Amino acid sequence: MIPVIVLTLIAVTFVVFLGFQVWRRYSVPAGPALAGQLIPIDLDAFQNLTDPEEEAFLKSHLAAADFRGVQRSRIRAARLYVAALSGNASVLVAVGQSVRDHADPEVAASGAEIVQRAMRLKVWCMLSELRLTAALAFPTMLSPSNALASHYLTVTYMASSLPSKLAA
Amino acid sequence: MSSFQHILWLYLWIAPHVLLIAVAVLMFHKGLHKDFPIFVTYLLFEFLQFCILFGLRSFERVPISVYQDIDMFGRVGSIALRFGIIQEMFEAPLAHNIPLRRTVSKMLNRATAIIVVLASIFIGFLYYGTVSSRAFPPYAISQALNTVQCCLLALVFLWHRFLNLRMSPVVFGIALGMGLVAGFEPLMHALKDSIPEQNSRMVDLLQMAIYHCAVLIWVYYAYAREKFTSNVMAAPLLEVRRGAADLGRVIHL
Repeated sequence: MIPVIVLTLIAVTFVVFLGFQVWRRYSVPAGPALAGQLIPIDLDAFQNLTDPEEEAFLKSHLAAADFRGVQRSRIRAARLYVAALSGNASVLVAVGQSVRDHADPEVAASGAEIVQRAMRLKVWCMLSELRLTAALAFPTMLSPSNALASHYLTVTYMASSLPSKLAA
Repeated sequence: MSSFQHILWLYLWIAPHVLLIAVAVLMFHKGLHKDFPIFVTYLLFEFLQFCILFGLRSFERVPISVYQDIDMFGRVGSIALRFGIIQEMFEAPLAHNIPLRRTVSKMLNRATAIIVVLASIFIGFLYYGTVSSRAFPPYAISQALNTVQCCLLALVFLWHRFLNLRMSPVVFGIALGMGLVAGFEPLMHALKDSIPEQNSRMVDLLQMAIYHCAVLIWVYYAYAREKFTSNVMAAPLLEVRRGAADLGRVIHL
């Protein structure tokens, strides 16, 4: 009888989850999620935090224990930046989606391109967060990557060109 | 079985499978078969399986073991194809981004492997003591795989939520229908095992009714058209523009 009870609970939970998805699709408008604001990000500071040369400099000038402590602080700060980048990537996906089906094919193509690039940025942010979490445990073995900043700039630049295209 | 029950049973067996063809036709009509080839294969496979089993049942000379073997083969095929469909749904938003599709595919494979192990342990614990042999019986394997599919379907919804992407109607419909089928199947198997033989017919009817609901969901979402509203959001766009102007001085694009 125990399997039946447990499996009933699982089935009910899953059906409630599916019901919630249906409710969310039809009752929560897409607007509020899209209206999210971009968080200003100091990419200079982020690039400093993830700069391998900076890391090498600190490593050569600090004692091993001090370096581990400093590197952990740097990684924690980098994680905050990556989380902010990830949030901004979500806004950019929403921006791209809102024009993906625009009547003007050029604007629609730009929208689709922004969605694709912003999604890629989002996935990279997720992988970077995982990597940074692992780097917290092994600060001397794993280094944070600074490739995210340039990808972010590309997507942001594309999205910023949309208003002029829409005005044209 | 009363005549009403018999008619209901026949209806619930035949109608969903006929509707599967309607779903396949709608998919072909809208050109969705190119984006979801495994789902269309699954629809045709299920229909073919139904035709064979229905035909076999009409011939009284066919031994029950043959029917059971074909039924088992069909179930294995359906479960395997459903894994493929889940992969299709994961990759649907990344249709034009091959490198990212590869990355996501690797992530999905790893997640699937972990969930398979966890679900097998979970089902193993559930039946520990009630199963005499050391090997997993077929129904327990089926339950474990259905549990895995439930978890993966939940991940499909969460994946779209993570990407902040609205699911297309067809992906939403497929996930919803498959979720109903995969969510209830382990329970139905467990119920059939725990109740007397004469009452198991009711469980069969319930299972067939759930499958019918799933197919109706597929029909609806394969037919549904998304209302496109190109509501260009001025505020975020201006914000983006302002942000890009600030960032432009940092790195030359």
